[in-house]
Amino acid sequence: MNKNLWAVLGIVVVVIILFVGGFISQYNKAIRMNEAVSAQWAQVENQLKRRFDLIPNLVETVKGYAAHEKEVFEHIADARKAYFSAKSVGEKARAAGGLEGALSRLLLLQERYPELKANESFLKLQDSLEGTENRIAVERKRYNDQVRILNTYVKSFPGRFFAAWAGVEKAQYFKIPEVEKETPKIKF
Amino acid sequence: MRLIYKLILIPVILVLAGLILAARMPASYVVDSAGIIENSIRQRLAGNLQELEQKTGVQMVILTVDSTEGIPIEEFALEKAAQWGLGQKEKDNGLIVVVAVNDRKYRIETGYGLESILPDSLSGSIARKYLVPRFKTGDYTGGIYATAIVIMHTIAKAEGVELTGLPKIQPRRTRSASPLGSLLTLVIIFIIISSLFNPRSRGLVGMLLLGTLLGSSWSGGSRGSGGLGSFGGGGFGSFGGGGGAFGGGGVSGGW
Repeated sequence: MNKNLWAVLGIVVVVIILFVGGFISQYNKAIRMNEAVSAQWAQVENQLKRRFDLIPNLVETVKGYAAHEKEVFEHIADARKAYFSAKSVGEKARAAGGLEGALSRLLLLQERYPELKANESFLKLQDSLEGTENRIAVERKRYNDQVRILNTYVKSFPGRFFAAWAGVEKAQYFKIPEVEKETPKIKF
Repeated sequence: MRLIYKLILIPVILVLAGLILAARMPASYVVDSAGIIENSIRQRLAGNLQELEQKTGVQMVILTVDSTEGIPIEEFALEKAAQWGLGQKEKDNGLIVVVAVNDRKYRIETGYGLESILPDSLSGSIARKYLVPRFKTGDYTGGIYATAIVIMHTIAKAEGVELTGLPKIQPRRTRSASPLGSLLTLVIIFIIISSLFNPRSRGLVGMLLLGTLLGSSWSGGSRGSGGLGSFGGGGFGSFGGGGGAFGGGGVSGGW
């Protein structure tokens, strides 16, 4: 009698420990995934900022050859402003897309100004810019991968429950806006 | 009976594990899949790159392919770098130069740790100055060699070491003998021999296995320098648990 009671108690304790342990590990998992998304977003923003840092030099160099292309420079200034006033991931993605469009128009100027194309410092800036674009693409993909992992968990069962408990919500993908995808055409 | 199964199973598992690990490593510092680099230069370059790794820890690989099969060369380079685990883990000092001949595209991909030594603007200047002009005249060997030498000098200078230019050990044309493969062979031979001396399992199967193994590993390896513990010139020495991170830095272009 007494022996049986102890056995049942033991089993109950073990089950409780397993349950609590499972809960804690799932809770921590939700937190960890959320942190991974934030960390990766920081990487994306790092690279976006790096691109902004490159722009003044690039604009100055191009101005030396094509000062009257005011429209292009204004576009870039506007896109820059839009990015810095953007708050959410979606807004920032849209602003970054707008800037990309403006930048590609700026780079296209080299087709009309051959001296620009031959200028080594312009070419170097272009290399840096293209390198940064590629870095942004890489970090953006990694960010979206992390978001996919988190969102799948948050949507699934029992992940939904643990995510709500840990206060973790679905994250927003960094989508490339449609406008950005169409490349500007060269007009002759 | 059970022992026989074990005898067959263990080597099979070990060999499979070896193959999986081997797939992680490039065969040499210069992987000329497109066959555009002259033999002598390719070997000298592999030696230089080995010296670079020994002195600076930087793992730099040159890869030529016919085409990236529609994959953007940036993605292709990043994939290869990750697959091969280029660079030391804590230093992220991997570098890969990819040339896709039929696509007429090149890419210099730098790991995080090399971005300050080789910023994109510098890589771009190097490629424009040393690679593109030679490639335009069809001199792939010269373009790749000159570019690689300049990159190596830049890294060596930043790391404060001097490259002798010529490797002490001439790279040999070995079939990417890895230390791991040799170790595996050793382990398998040991298992089989010890089983032979075990009276319970002594017999034909063990003999057969040993015979096959000796036949395949030693006759195949004898053409190069084969055997145990030999990974001279072209092979990678320190490609273990490495794997530096790449963030998409570097330049690409065409000619």
